[in-house]
Amino acid sequence: MNAMPADTFTTVRSEDALVRFSQVKKSYDGIHYVVKDLNLDVAKGEFLTMLGPSGSGKTTTLMMLGGFERPTLGQILLNGNPVERLPPERRNIGFVFQNYALFPHMTVAENVAFPLRYRGIRGAAAGAKVARALGRVGLEAMGDRRPAQLSGGQQQRVALARALVFEPSLVLMDEPLGALDKQLRERMQIEIKHLQTSLGITMVYVTHDQSEALTMSDRIAVFHDGRIQQLADPKTLYNAPENRFVAGFIGENNTMPCTFVGREAGLAVVRMADGATLRAADTLLSGGKAELSLSVRPENIGLASGQPNGPGNLFSGQVTDMFFLGDHMRLSVAAFGGQTVTARIPVGQVRGIAVGGTVHLACSPADCRLLED
Amino acid sequence: MSVTETVDIERIRTFVAVRRAARPARRAALSLALPLVGFLIVAFIAPILYLLVTAVDNPETRSILPRTLTALESWDGVSTPDEPVFAALAADLKLAKEDSTASQAGKRLNYEIPGMRSKVLAASRMAAGLEAGPYREKFLDQSEIWAAPETWSVIRRNGAGLTPYYLLTAVDLQQSPSGGIEGVAPDQAIFLPILGRTLLVAGIVTGLTLILGYPVAYVLTIAPRTIAAVMMLMVLLPLWTSLLVRTTAWVVLLQSDGVINAVLMALHLTTEKVQLIFTRFGTVTAMTHIQLPFTILPIYSVMRSIQPTQLRAARSLGAGPTSAFWRIYAPQTLPGVVAGCLMTFILSLGYYITPALVGGPQDQMVSNFISVYINRDLNWGLAAALGVVLLLVTLAIYGLFLRLVGADKIKLG
Amino acid sequence: MWLPSYATPSERLSRILVVAFAVAVMLFLIAPLFIIVPLSFSKDPFFTLPVREYSLRWYEDLFGNPRWFEAMINSAVAAVLTTILATTLGTLAALGIARPDFPYRRAIMALLISPMIVPIVIVAVGSYLFFGEFGLTNTRAGLVLAHTALATPFVVITVTATLSTYDTNLTRAANSLGASGLSAFFRVTLPNILPGVISGAIFAFATSFDEVVVALFLTAAEQRTLPVQMFSGIRDQINPTIMAAATMLLILSILLFAALALLTRKKAR
Repeated sequence: MNAMPADTFTTVRSEDALVRFSQVKKSYDGIHYVVKDLNLDVAKGEFLTMLGPSGSGKTTTLMMLGGFERPTLGQILLNGNPVERLPPERRNIGFVFQNYALFPHMTVAENVAFPLRYRGIRGAAAGAKVARALGRVGLEAMGDRRPAQLSGGQQQRVALARALVFEPSLVLMDEPLGALDKQLRERMQIEIKHLQTSLGITMVYVTHDQSEALTMSDRIAVFHDGRIQQLADPKTLYNAPENRFVAGFIGENNTMPCTFVGREAGLAVVRMADGATLRAADTLLSGGKAELSLSVRPENIGLASGQPNGPGNLFSGQVTDMFFLGDHMRLSVAAFGGQTVTARIPVGQVRGIAVGGTVHLACSPADCRLLED
Repeated sequence: MSVTETVDIERIRTFVAVRRAARPARRAALSLALPLVGFLIVAFIAPILYLLVTAVDNPETRSILPRTLTALESWDGVSTPDEPVFAALAADLKLAKEDSTASQAGKRLNYEIPGMRSKVLAASRMAAGLEAGPYREKFLDQSEIWAAPETWSVIRRNGAGLTPYYLLTAVDLQQSPSGGIEGVAPDQAIFLPILGRTLLVAGIVTGLTLILGYPVAYVLTIAPRTIAAVMMLMVLLPLWTSLLVRTTAWVVLLQSDGVINAVLMALHLTTEKVQLIFTRFGTVTAMTHIQLPFTILPIYSVMRSIQPTQLRAARSLGAGPTSAFWRIYAPQTLPGVVAGCLMTFILSLGYYITPALVGGPQDQMVSNFISVYINRDLNWGLAAALGVVLLLVTLAIYGLFLRLVGADKIKLG
Repeated sequence: MWLPSYATPSERLSRILVVAFAVAVMLFLIAPLFIIVPLSFSKDPFFTLPVREYSLRWYEDLFGNPRWFEAMINSAVAAVLTTILATTLGTLAALGIARPDFPYRRAIMALLISPMIVPIVIVAVGSYLFFGEFGLTNTRAGLVLAHTALATPFVVITVTATLSTYDTNLTRAANSLGASGLSAFFRVTLPNILPGVISGAIFAFATSFDEVVVALFLTAAEQRTLPVQMFSGIRDQINPTIMAAATMLLILSILLFAALALLTRKKAR
């Protein structure tokens, strides 16, 4: 067994884990670590997304799992067996590459049949499997075409069919939708998610697109600087970011410095830069740190008049900018002694507000989160 | 008038308008290339066309024996001609003797009737001394060649301004006395074997450059940048070095007192000097050395464009390293292999300098024989005809290259 | 780089073998070129290694003997004239070909490249026979004409390659800022495609300077070029001055090649 304390493995119980990264580190030059001490379990049947900016270590992690990179230190277990030294062709993992990597000299059907030959499936049996895989992605009529004759979305589907045709229990995807336009991307997100749930496959998905991650994932691992910053389901991640990076990376957030004053009625009380006190959800783990950040999403800030009697935080400031964004207005307000606070106000409520004027704002303490770093 | 017809007319009008609108731009673009096109037509195409004409040109008999040819018009073609033909021949040869053109006519007829040159010269000397006829007996007394109907049919045939003789000879064919085309006797067939040898040497060289060059191109793509740059220098520098310098180097290396023999003896691999220069081995080695960069560069250029994820994808789908290489990587390098090999094959067909300096008599290629017929035998017609054969073979393969690769795909480093 | 990090042991072994093979082939490519250098400094009139005693006598002959020296001058003059003609004609043609409206592109490109393809002996014999009709054999003009035809494909290829990366909006911008066609060409287009033009010129120079076969047919003693002098030297009796000449040609090739390498590096930057 592992020497790590159990709680670092987050919520998945070890017998359910299909994949386990244990103290995995990766360095190319022996000095800088691209992946620093990675511990991660992927449960059977789950859709796990590794989300992060480029250079955060997420793709390297995926490549290590696929067998294209070898961990410098640590262990990767697949079904409980260490696989660091297993070449990719013996891992039986489906892999969808960023630019699909379809073989240009083969037809679509030959591409999809390719993995079957290495699994001893030939002839009619292979043909049936290919037809079913292509049918699954809606390309049954395209078997005789060459990849170059297909549109980007169709190529994407072929890559998907090819990675699924040999029924791997684990499929990895490296930014598979990056080359598609927005509408197609959104449609493919839903298709991939449907395939994953209907086939019961475990999927590990790498993207830098947060909305893609939120749409598709059961759990999201936010990568930054070679580490997982937070591992949680999309709702938790969105509503309860654990640190400033996650708060800033997922969605939009107002993050303002504050100092801890005390606790009151199950809420934390903090003092802002201008001396105003606000209340926030008591999410502090250690509570030892006095210098904190208060984070609140723009859509959780409303006009004070709209929230008459709640136990809300009230503050005011001067409007510095106003933008019309269709269903809402976006206000930039200078408050707490010069901090810029962004608020999203439904268009119907914006009356008598002008740039340069003063506005009274409110937010619920439950929506205000305190971050230690 | 139906609706479809109006639509068609509309479409045609649009098409015409589009063409017309594009015309000035097309003309402007073309006019930039015209100076070079014109230059090449004068300085490159015209000489080649002139060569083609030389291969069928047949002026000698026509200009030197005009009276004879006129007299032969009434000849029956099977018997020895009558007195008027011999009188005309005597008159032609008398003039030819004065102009010193008799040897030209003799040389030309000698190609088709062995020994004819000396017979014509002797006859012209005799004709110069004759004041009056009858001439027939005098010619027949001098040589029975004048009695043979074949002699006269050859003379008559060569009255035409154009002759297929040189072209037929260049592919080991001849005109039979009856006028049909037949192969020459097997022991006299020399030019097709030479063409075959040229194709064979070009093929061997192409194969060797592929075997030697493919791994080099591959290593160029996987080596770290600085090492790859140095390796690229090593591939390009020979390309830049004068062909003559490279051939000289091989002469020095291969000669019997040369470096290779010295090394072989020093290593006690051989006790006697090995004949390397003036052999097929030497020719093929030197040509392979010279052609290697031409094969490597197109292959490298294609290999570099193959995404590394191609091999990764193959591996993730279950292919082992060997299988992934042969099923995924190698087929994708095929366009480069075709381009490099066709280029090397085309260029190898035209080798002249290297076989001339490094090869033995059995390694001389079509080009070398062309040079020999121009410079030594002064048989321009045959040289030109061999040139036509070589040109046609080359252009056929160039055509294949244009179809499969395209002229705009040729790169220089 | 050499190996993917997921390589199996057998893959490693085969990779080592492939690299070793490639290195051997590279030595085969490079070593013969430099074998002539030590020999050119040998005092002995025969070609055996190692060299017993060094001297500069063959270089003295090369530069002192008027036959060799004149041959060098002849080659240089023909090469310079060829370079000027071929670069001008080739660059103009490439400018036309690079335009999107260029008609009959495939056919014209095939024609422009064909001097590279046609066996050199055919060009030589054809020029010998054809130029003879106009008294151009045994003249420098005839040699330059034939060499220019041989050199233009190189210019067309290099300049077309450079133009394929040239942004035509630069010309449009120059036009919009008031530069006329010709002025826009000299002030904007040409400076940007200059590396390609110069590479083409270098190729053209090398093509003419190194060419033997056409020169053999088209020149008499007075126009005899360095390669012709070398060729007859090797064929008749191997005169060690050839080694000195070959070494000089090798150095020239390296210099031209270095110039080209510098140019392409600048272009890549």
